[in-house]
Amino acid sequence: MVYEFRYLAPRTATELATVLDDIKADGRILAGGTDLIPNIRNGVFKPRIVVDVKKFQGADRMAFGSEGLSMGPAVTINDVLRSKDARERYPSLCACAHELASHQVRNRATVAGNVVNASPCSDMAPALLCLGARAVIRSATGERVVPFANFFAGVKKTVLVPGEFLATIIIPAESAGAAGRYLKLKRIAGHDLGIVGVLMTRKDGELRFGVSSAAPTPVLVDTVGAKDDPDEAARKVLASVSPISDVRGTKEYREHMIGVYVRRLLSEVE
Amino acid sequence: MRIKLTVNGLAYERECAEHVTLLRFLREGLGLTGTKEGCGMGECGACTVILNGRAVNSCMVLAVEADGAVISTIEGEAQGPSLSDIQKAFEKHHAVQCGFCTPGMVMSVKELLADNGKPGVDEVKEAIEGNFCRCTGYVQIVEAVMDLTGRPGGKGELEHV
Amino acid sequence: MFDDIKTADMTYVGKKAGRPDMVEKLTGEAVFVSDMELPGMLHAQLKKSPHARARIKRIDASKAAAMPGVRAVVTGEELDYHIGLYIVDKFILAKGEVRHYGEAVAAVAAETLEQARAAVEAIEVEYEPLPPVLHHMDALKPDAPLVHPELGTYSYIEAVFTPKPGTNIANHTKLRKGDVDKGFEASEYIVEREYSCPSVQHVPMETHVAIVQWARGDRVSIWTSAQSPFTVRNLFCHAFGLPHINVRVQIPYVGGGFGGKAGIGIEPLCAVLSRKAGGKPVKFQASREEEFSLLPCRSALTYRIKTGVSADGRIQAQHMTMYWDSGAYADYAVNVTRASGFSASGPYEIPNAWVDAYTIYTNKPYGTAYRGFGHVEFHWAVERHMELIAQAIGMDPLEFRLRNALRPGSKTMTGETILPSTGNVVKCIEEAARMIGYGSLSADELRRQEKTGWKIGKGVAALQKAPAMPSFTATAVVLKMNEDGSVLVNLALTDYGQGTYASIRQIVAERLGFPIEKVKVAFENDTDRDPYDWQTVASKGLLLSGNAAILAAEDMLRNAYAVAAEALRANPRDLGHDGDRVFVKHHPASSVAFSAMAVGLAMPNGNGIGGPIIGVGRYIAQGLSNLDKNTGEGSPAIDWTYGAHGMIVEVNEATGEYRVLKVASVYDVGRAINPDIVRGQAIGGMIQGLGTAVCEGYIYDQQGRLLNPSFTDNKIPTAKDLPMEIECAVVETPQIDGPYGARGVGEHSMISVAPALGNAIQKATGAEIMHMPMRFEDVWRALTKKEPIDNWITKSPIGSCRSAPEARNRG
Ligand SMILES: Cc1cc2nc3c(=O)[nH]c(=O)nc-3n(C[C@H](O)[C@H](O)[C@H](O)COP(=O)(O)OP(=O)(O)OC[C@H]3O[C@@H](n4cnc5c(N)ncnc54)[C@H](O)[C@@H]3O)c2cc1C
Ligand code: FES
Ligand code: FES
Repeated sequence: MVYEFRYLAPRTATELATVLDDIKADGRILAGGTDLIPNIRNGVFKPRIVVDVKKFQGADRMAFGSEGLSMGPAVTINDVLRSKDARERYPSLCACAHELASHQVRNRATVAGNVVNASPCSDMAPALLCLGARAVIRSATGERVVPFANFFAGVKKTVLVPGEFLATIIIPAESAGAAGRYLKLKRIAGHDLGIVGVLMTRKDGELRFGVSSAAPTPVLVDTVGAKDDPDEAARKVLASVSPISDVRGTKEYREHMIGVYVRRLLSEVE
Repeated sequence: MRIKLTVNGLAYERECAEHVTLLRFLREGLGLTGTKEGCGMGECGACTVILNGRAVNSCMVLAVEADGAVISTIEGEAQGPSLSDIQKAFEKHHAVQCGFCTPGMVMSVKELLADNGKPGVDEVKEAIEGNFCRCTGYVQIVEAVMDLTGRPGGKGELEHV
Repeated sequence: MFDDIKTADMTYVGKKAGRPDMVEKLTGEAVFVSDMELPGMLHAQLKKSPHARARIKRIDASKAAAMPGVRAVVTGEELDYHIGLYIVDKFILAKGEVRHYGEAVAAVAAETLEQARAAVEAIEVEYEPLPPVLHHMDALKPDAPLVHPELGTYSYIEAVFTPKPGTNIANHTKLRKGDVDKGFEASEYIVEREYSCPSVQHVPMETHVAIVQWARGDRVSIWTSAQSPFTVRNLFCHAFGLPHINVRVQIPYVGGGFGGKAGIGIEPLCAVLSRKAGGKPVKFQASREEEFSLLPCRSALTYRIKTGVSADGRIQAQHMTMYWDSGAYADYAVNVTRASGFSASGPYEIPNAWVDAYTIYTNKPYGTAYRGFGHVEFHWAVERHMELIAQAIGMDPLEFRLRNALRPGSKTMTGETILPSTGNVVKCIEEAARMIGYGSLSADELRRQEKTGWKIGKGVAALQKAPAMPSFTATAVVLKMNEDGSVLVNLALTDYGQGTYASIRQIVAERLGFPIEKVKVAFENDTDRDPYDWQTVASKGLLLSGNAAILAAEDMLRNAYAVAAEALRANPRDLGHDGDRVFVKHHPASSVAFSAMAVGLAMPNGNGIGGPIIGVGRYIAQGLSNLDKNTGEGSPAIDWTYGAHGMIVEVNEATGEYRVLKVASVYDVGRAINPDIVRGQAIGGMIQGLGTAVCEGYIYDQQGRLLNPSFTDNKIPTAKDLPMEIECAVVETPQIDGPYGARGVGEHSMISVAPALGNAIQKATGAEIMHMPMRFEDVWRALTKKEPIDNWITKSPIGSCRSAPEARNRG
């Protein structure tokens, strides 16, 4: 890394909020660093200050309570995968987590960093969308809660404003036990960003689809009825996305594969 | 910033610029050049070290984040003058060609075996998926690990026809 | 050189033997150039062009020069050195005009990387963008802009190459054999098709890196991650007009090369920075992005083949036109064209052949040698073509291949006669087919197909390659005996991972009759220490250097015997030896230890005899000739290594997704000196071939900007991408002039992997794919008869969604 910056590691959430309030646009939050550090290396971001969000007391908390699963900003993808509770209660969260990057990256990459990064090809977003998760956003002036369905604002944009940080992700208890499967089309069998990804969850007869790499933001489709035939379901999902052509694939192929995946998932997810 | 950390069982205390990655700190600050940079972008795994028990891409970790951490690198792998079991298995199976990916590869295998003494072939592949090797085609690496854990698979030999 | 000794009767050759470089590499102690730091060393960073073609109107580096820590700033304007391997067409830094995206226009050396980067960003460059010529077929059009308007003034190797000034053609290689018109007339069927593949990257895990110190008195020291120390030295001396004794090139461990480090690269750039910085050593290491766009890649190819076949399936005539995309500079690409030209038919007999092979300049990163030297690319075409011809004439593709394969008595396209000792491609094809159960699906496979719904198909593809090298390519090996009677081997053929040193060590130990532990091959090559070797390329290393090693061992024994004969008062013919001593055969108690003779033998009375014992072996390629420029006739091949792959694949017809179930590879290696190393080369190359078959390739936008100069969008195979089953076998038809009968196999494993896959996919589904790589979408498009994707030079506006190309090319 050839661009210099200062590093701060607040020890409490309150201190973190204060620091962020001070530096605003001059700074960048650092979680696992798996997006931020390559971006700084490439000169895409040149922050003056980098603020570590992992070192405050409780940042790595992962708790299953009456509210559901709550995760602090330091919870990594592999923390999720290693949790027996997560695997049992939220299999689709784990299915998505398992498709994200490589083992080493998953040891560092956080769930929060993944969604704040707001890449169209985010692998965690489909799970958080389908499971009805909420973002607890904190700043020096207080806290607000935003459902992930309203969290993404555009390519690499979220509703967060400078001074705010994603303090907790809550996956509601009601979503526990939802069956699900995530199909991610890649160029190779090894770690790769998705050409498209489709998660389907089924709980109490209710179907949800979370789609990645198919629109400026990850997309939730909850309009498919349990009785819809597969073609109708595919049509509804396709109506909600707007894939583009890029180096990974054409719009045409993406649309085709989303249709194939929707049909495949309907027959496979009991 | 002044940082303290333990690398391969030795305690270090150093002044370190805050933007420097752990990879660069290990190589330039501590002279531990066994850990390599293949991309600097988290893709290739040449920079893999074990940080507090977990294999990580040290090119995406800041050295200052590792303040207080316990780190293992390839330099700490051999036991005294003799190679570790992982290293011996790699040697026996010709799991090394140019050797540039090897330090990171060995670290990934080390983390795997610490958690899981008898991995299946697919688990081994998953553990090293983030370690690119352009030379070997991975087969002899997987064979080395499977042999080491007592589950050799496949013929593993050149046939003469 | 071949001795008719059975492997069973040998101690080391053909047996399992470890590699001599394992401990250093496994402990992290092996030092690569990227690990090196010299006292006072400066770090270099480059300013690169964001345009594919532009006039440089102005470069202002004054701000950069004044920045803290900056010790040298160099722009193309102030340099006037041309560099080139076969055609001298490249400046060290772009001058006047940039010819490809990512080309360096200015360089900075500073105390720290941070300072160098900051200075580079302060350099102002004003460009006048010019319309680039991107596709090599467009570059042939009469109104195409010229990449090198000055082509007519460049010097080049006239005996071998034919540039066409006033066009974008850097070389035209011709081959004419027999009478193609007659051949076509005699044909029952004529099949004409066109095949193509894009540029790809070698992806050595260690990117190009060099440290150069231009010291007072014009003494230059170069440490570089390169394959060929003497070629670096020679080209460097030519570029700067320096005497060879002034320049020393050292090559420590090298983190892969695959041809990309065969010639000269960034060394001259570091050199001019060092000179300007008053002789401080300057280090430059390419970033992965620079590895993709600044350093060379493999040429793209468009290959048109027209074949006439008789009613009984024998090829009568073949007309072949190759269009090789050289990119902005000729480098090795012109020689790829030449070597591919004479091998263009693959391992088949073509009685009447016509080849035109063109190397074409375009405004893209330039092409160079890459494992297979053109053969991966054109075998894609040839072996797909064989499949399509067989289909067109209603013959089984395997049978069609066997019917036309080269056999003893066949004549190659350059007029060489195939001998029984040349190698056995027929057997390679048959064995590869047998190993995959070619021709039908097993009960298990049928069940699997039933269960998954994915269609299973099997295909084969054959291959051939001879080393592409000058007809007089030479090498030498020097053995030096140490005081304890052990032996040090010096040679300048580098071992950058392929394992040649392990085999050389076995050969030396075998020939000396010494325990292998007593033989060390010195890594870390040095032009001031090692005897000459041309280059570490072309799969010629083991053959030439192995022979030289045998000669050196014999020379060493001869020298030792001469001393022993004098000391023991015996005729050398009466002497024998073991690993420790030379003795009189009929009186074994009368002996003298090698250790006693190693540095000169002291007689009991103190008299000295002999002197340090060394052995020298020199070997030069024999009997090769330049090819006639008009007909291609001549002897280009010191040996041909043949091989074949069999592939089993399963394909989802609805989506184009596929999985490789099995690959079986067979090569006629003459003799496998070290079976584990042969297998390592076989599998490593095959997976590399699979990478280029499945997904690798450069994608440009309409302005010629490379959209995927990183692993984010230029994936290479990972451990998860391995086929479910891999089998490797060797046929051993001894090469009469090979060391213990061996011939090279380093490159061959990568050749014909792609067509074997394409043939298997076609067998499974009928998808007819003419372009590699075969991404899932390509298969789906072929299956649904849709237009192929427009990319490689894409109309799509958007690159990676992780980082836009603009952001990548800062500096
Ligand atoms: C080789 C490689 C492969 C990858 N493959 C995939 C993949 O397959 N799928 C995928 O989805 N992603 C992938 N990624 C991207 C990345 O790993 C993930 O997005 C990861 O989850 C990001 O988390 P992080 O903790 O590393 O984020 P960081 O890099 O630390 O942060 C990402 C962004 O979010 C901000 N941020 C982080 N935490 C917070 C917070 N709590 N509050 C406010 N802002 C915050 C940061 O400022 C930064 O802008 C890959 C990355 C690499 C290097
Ligand atoms: S160098 Fe860290 S992943 Fe490549
Ligand atoms: S041995 Fe060369 S990259 Fe793995």
